[in-house]
Amino acid sequence: MTVGFAIGTDTKEEVRTAEKTDLDQPWVVVVWNDPVNLMSYVSFVFQTYFGYSEAKARTLMLEVHEAGRSAVCSGTREKVEQDTVALHSYGLWATFEKAGSE
Amino acid sequence: MAKPFKSTRRGITGALEPGEARLLGALLDDVISMLEPETGPSDDPLAALVGMSGADADATAPDDSAVRRLLPDAIRGDDDEALAFRRLTERSLREQKIGALRGSALLIESSPMTLNGEQGRLLAQALNDVRLVLADRLSIETEEDAERLHDVADSKDVDNVDSYLALVYNFITWLQESLVQAMLKAAKLQR
Repeated sequence: MTVGFAIGTDTKEEVRTAEKTDLDQPWVVVVWNDPVNLMSYVSFVFQTYFGYSEAKARTLMLEVHEAGRSAVCSGTREKVEQDTVALHSYGLWATFEKAGSE
Repeated sequence: MAKPFKSTRRGITGALEPGEARLLGALLDDVISMLEPETGPSDDPLAALVGMSGADADATAPDDSAVRRLLPDAIRGDDDEALAFRRLTERSLREQKIGALRGSALLIESSPMTLNGEQGRLLAQALNDVRLVLADRLSIETEEDAERLHDVADSKDVDNVDSYLALVYNFITWLQESLVQAMLKAAKLQR
């Protein structure tokens, strides 16, 4: 991801808040890091599409940025298929896979 | 120079210079033509009847790397599965993107723009797709590649096609960042 250079970037506190995706579900949507998507935009998509809080959206966004990937939601195969296509419509680089197959 | 987007009581406002609006309009058109389906609409009346117009039995992974980034594989490490999924979903994804790009081309015709949340979201999606295509043409593959382009900030820095593209990329990036910041601010105020 990249940082919009017009406006100052965020601080890195509160990164490791404990909110974690529920991995009991059998399938997950994975978002991959890329050098184009803005950090602010990725947070915006997580808030807008999934309805995540600002803090959770930011934690997941930073995990994508720093770890290269993050499992951002889970559910049935049908649900993760739908979420993956929705994230593609936003231009995020997303795939779905069986939970725990990393 | 365009004014940054702002969150106001009337909505998200912003304004482009006429030259900037023409440039962005042309870029939106370019991305639309890249996304227009390579095959005609399904002529299977049953598929149309049951609403399976999103399906396209002939779809293959796009040859153009920029189009492949706009319509990526949804499954890693299994090309057959990825292709089967693409055949079910790619057409409707193309249509969704073209809808956002066309809608955005209309929105930027007015200056100043006043956008509601839905319009702001469509424009942010469209700007993102334009940036993905420009980034592919500029071979931005790493974050270092992206940072190198930040220096091209003024038309006096432009001396070839690549530096012109970089200038355009930086402008669209600035525009998208300002739009997203305004929308995040608006969302915060709503809570």
